[in-house]
Amino acid sequence: MIYRYYHAFITLPLTLALVIALASPAFAGPRIASLDWTLAETLIALDAPPIALAQTDDYASWVGQSTPMSVTDIGLRTQPNLELLANLAPDRILISPMFANLAPRLSTIAPVETLSIYTPDKPVWPELEALTRKLGELSDHEKAAERLVASSRAEIDCLASRQPAAPRPLMIVQFMDARHVRVFGANSLFDAVINQLGLTNIWKEPTNAWGFSLAGLERLISLEQARLVIIEPYPAGVAEALKTSGLWQSIPSVTRDDVITLPPTWSFGGLPSAMRFAKTLTAALSDAQSQTLGACANGKPPE
Amino acid sequence: MATSERRPLSVLTAPILAGSLLLTAFLLGLVVSLAPLNGLITAFKSLFTPAVGVDGLVLHYSWWPRLTMALLAGGALGLAGVLMQQTLRNPLASPTTLGVASGANLALMTATLVAPGLLVAGREWVALGGSASTMALVFSIGWRRGLSPGVVVLGGLVVNLYAGALGMVLLLFHQEELKGLLVWGAGSLAQNDWSSVAYLAPRLAIAGLASACLIRPLALLELDDASAKNLGISLKWLRLGGLGLAVFLTGCVVSVVGIIGFIGLAAPNIVRLVGARRLKARLIGSVLLGALLLATTDLLLQGFAGRLPTLLPTGATTAALGAPLLLWLIPRLRMTARRPPSASSNESFRHPLPGRLMIVLMVLIAVAALAGLTIGQGPNGWDLALDPPVLEWRWPRLLAAAGSGILLAIAGTLIQRVTANPMASPELLGISGGAAIALIITLFLIQGPSNLLLVGSATLGALITLGVLLALNHSSGFQPERLLLCGVAITALFDAVRSITLAGGDPRGQQVVAWLSGSTYYVDPISALVVLIAALLLALATQPLGRWLDILPLGAAAARALGIRVESARLALLSLVALLTAGATLIVGPLSFVGLLAPHMARMLGFSRARSHMAGAALLGALLMVVADWLGRQLLFPQEIPAGLVASLIGGSYFMWGLRKL
Repeated sequence: MIYRYYHAFITLPLTLALVIALASPAFAGPRIASLDWTLAETLIALDAPPIALAQTDDYASWVGQSTPMSVTDIGLRTQPNLELLANLAPDRILISPMFANLAPRLSTIAPVETLSIYTPDKPVWPELEALTRKLGELSDHEKAAERLVASSRAEIDCLASRQPAAPRPLMIVQFMDARHVRVFGANSLFDAVINQLGLTNIWKEPTNAWGFSLAGLERLISLEQARLVIIEPYPAGVAEALKTSGLWQSIPSVTRDDVITLPPTWSFGGLPSAMRFAKTLTAALSDAQSQTLGACANGKPPE
Repeated sequence: MATSERRPLSVLTAPILAGSLLLTAFLLGLVVSLAPLNGLITAFKSLFTPAVGVDGLVLHYSWWPRLTMALLAGGALGLAGVLMQQTLRNPLASPTTLGVASGANLALMTATLVAPGLLVAGREWVALGGSASTMALVFSIGWRRGLSPGVVVLGGLVVNLYAGALGMVLLLFHQEELKGLLVWGAGSLAQNDWSSVAYLAPRLAIAGLASACLIRPLALLELDDASAKNLGISLKWLRLGGLGLAVFLTGCVVSVVGIIGFIGLAAPNIVRLVGARRLKARLIGSVLLGALLLATTDLLLQGFAGRLPTLLPTGATTAALGAPLLLWLIPRLRMTARRPPSASSNESFRHPLPGRLMIVLMVLIAVAALAGLTIGQGPNGWDLALDPPVLEWRWPRLLAAAGSGILLAIAGTLIQRVTANPMASPELLGISGGAAIALIITLFLIQGPSNLLLVGSATLGALITLGVLLALNHSSGFQPERLLLCGVAITALFDAVRSITLAGGDPRGQQVVAWLSGSTYYVDPISALVVLIAALLLALATQPLGRWLDILPLGAAAARALGIRVESARLALLSLVALLTAGATLIVGPLSFVGLLAPHMARMLGFSRARSHMAGAALLGALLMVVADWLGRQLLFPQEIPAGLVASLIGGSYFMWGLRKL
C-alpha cells in the first residue's frame, strides 16, 4: 500500500511533463477536471480525457480500466486537492450532485458543472445517453458523443437479438462479505442493461437511491427460478467461505450449477461500463448455451 | 446499599416485572420472525435436519444458527461487561470502551488491504489478534501503576480513539475495498450455517467456567485497594486475569459477528439497577439479560428486514435503541456506590515558570505556522511558496486549525475541571456526536446540500444535545458522573447512526466519512477569520473563571464551603463548553481528540493552576492542530488526511507515551 504512494511521487513529475507537452495547441479542447468516475469514464470513451481526476488508482481498479497517462491525480473524490487543482488551471470542473457542497470553493478555480445521473424514478438508459451527449457538448466532442450513443444503441440491439429464447430471470449480486450481498434492482446500471437486452431482473424489492438492496444470503434462497450473476471482485476469503456454507450450497442457482461470474464493472458507471457489462453478460450466457457469440462489436455502424 | 434494604418490595418486583416484560418481547419476536416461515413446528423439525423446501433450508441454515448466535453473543458480552466493570470499579467500562472492538476492526481492515491471505486462513484469528494487541497496549500503559482503574480506563479510551482514527484514515482512502467490513463493523448476526456457532460455543464455555472460578476473588475488589492488599491478594494479577478474560470473550464475539454496542455496558448496569448487589447474582443476571436483549432485538429486526432496501445491522441497532434507554436509566443509577479512584492518580507536578513555558509554546506555534504557510508540495514536488495565490489556499486552513484547536482545548480543560474526571472531553459529552448525527441526517435526506445548510443543521444538533444534557442533569445538580454517562449514551447513538448509514453502502457514505474525520478542508477565508477571532475572544472570556475552576475539582462540598454556588457555576461552565464544542465541531468534525489531549498534555508539562492550565492547553491545542493540518496535507500528497485525524494520531502517540511514565 505504501508502495503505491511512493509510486505516485515518482510518476507525478513524469505525468506533469506529459501534461505540459500535450497542452500544446494541437490539443485545443477545453481542459476539464472531473471529480466523478462515471463522468471521467465517459469522457475517456469520447477521446476527450479529463486533465485531472480524483483517485485515479482506485478508478483503475474499480472501473476496470486505467486512466491515460495525461490524467493527474488530484486526491480524494470528497476532498480534491484545491491547491493542486488551482495550479492545473482547468477550464471547467465537472462534479455529480454528491459533491455539490464543494461547488462554491471549486467555482473560484473554474466554472463548475453539476451533472446528475441515477435520478430516482427516471429511467436509467435515456439518462445515460443524455449524459453522454451533454459531456460531448462540454468537451467539444459532440460528434464523438453521437457516435458513442449510436454505436452503443446498435451494439446493444445486436446483443439483444442473440439472447437465448427462454432465458431464466437473472439476479445480479456483488458480495460484501461471506454473509451479505448487494442485489441490484430498479434504478441500477445493471438493471437498465438487462432490460435493454430483453432479459428479466428477478429482484423487485425496494432499492436505495443507487439501485441496490443490501441483503443477507438467506433472502436469495426463495427466488428459485433466478440465475445468479456475481460481479467480481470477491472480498478476501469469501470464495473459500462459500464452499463450506450450507446456505450458499442450497441456493437453487448454485445447486443447478448455473452461476455466472463476471469481471469487475463499475456498478454506478456510464455508457462504457454499461456496454462492458452487456458484452460480458451476453458472452457468459451464450457460452453456457454452447453457442458462439456473433461479432456484435464489429458490426459498429459506419462513422 | 442501605437504601435497597429499606425497600424489600421494590427489590423483588422490579426484576420480576422487567424480566417478564423482556420474555414477552422475546416470545413476540419469535412469533413475528417465524410467521413467514411456517411457524414453530416446522422450526423445531428443521433444527436438526434441513427439511426439504425453502423454509426448511432457511430455518436450518440461517434462522436457528442466528438465534443461537444472538443468545451466545449477548450472554458473552453481558459477562464481559460485568467483569470489566468489576475489575475497573467503573460503571462506564465496557467491552467497546477499552478498544477491544476497534482493535479487531483495525486488524481486519489492515489485513484486507495488506495481506488478504490472512483472512482466508482465518478472519477470527486476525480479529482476535487485533483485540489482544490493543488490550496489551492498554495493559502496558497501566502496568506501572498496578493497572489502577483510572489509568486503565483512560488508556483504553485513548487506544480506542487511536485505533478508531487509524481506521478512519484507511476508510477514507479505501472505501471501495473496505465496504464489506462496514457491514461487519455494524454487527450483523446473519448466519449461513452452524460453523460460527461451533467456533464460539466451546470458547465461551471455557471463559464462563474461568469466570465462575474468579467470582470469589473478584468480589473482594469492592473493597478499596489497601484492604484488598491486606487480605493478601495481588491486585495486579487479579485485574489482569479479570480483564484478560473479558477481552477474550469480547474478541471471540467481535471476530464472529462484529461490533455489538451497548449490551456489554447496559446489561450489567440494568441488573445492578433492578437490585442485584452480589457479584454472583450480577454475573448470572447479566448473562441472561444480555442474551435475551440481543436475541429479542434481533428477532424483532428480522421481522422488518424484508421491507427495507438496506440491512438494519443488529449490533448498531442495539446501540441506537439502547441509548435512549440508558438516558432514561441514568437519573435512576445509584452513583454514590462508586468509590472514588485512589488519590494518587490525581497528583501532578507544577512547572516552576509556566510563563516561560508559554513563551516557548508561542514560538513553536509561530514556527509551525510559518512552515505551514510556505512549505508544501506542488505539481513540481517540494516547494517554498511565497506568492499570494498559493498562500490564499493555505492561510484560511491554518487559522481555522489554530482556532478550532484553541476552542477544543479550552472546552476540554473546562470539562475536565468541572467534572474532576480525566476521561472527560467535549467529544465524550456527546455534543460533537449530536452535531454529527444532525449532519448525517441532512446529508442523507437532502440531495446536494449546501455548506450553509450543513453548518446550520450541525449547530441545531449540538443545541438539541445540549438541551437534552441540561434537562436530564438539572435535577441532579450536574453531577459529573451522570453527565459523562449521558455523553456516553449520546456518543453511542452517534456511533450507531454512523455504522448503520455506512453499512448500507450508499456512496454518500464517503462524504459522511470525509465530514466526520475532521478536516479544515471546507473552510473559506471568512469562516476561518470568524473561528479564530471567536476562539481568542472566548479564551479571554474564560480567564475570570479561574477561581471556579481551581476550586470545583476539589468536590461539591469543598466548593460550597468556599462560597461557590456549585449548580449555577456548573451550568454556566457547561453551556460555555457546548458553545465552544459546537463551534469547533463545525470546522474539524467530531473526531479530533484535541479536547481530550491538549488539557492533559498541558498538565503533564506542568501547567497546574486553572488559568495557566487553560492558557497552556489553548496554546498546545493550536500547535497540535496547525502541525496536524500541515502534516495531513503533505503526507499522502495529493490526497489529504484530515487534520482532526492527524491530530488524534499525533496526540494519541504522545499521550500513550506520557501515560506510561505517569
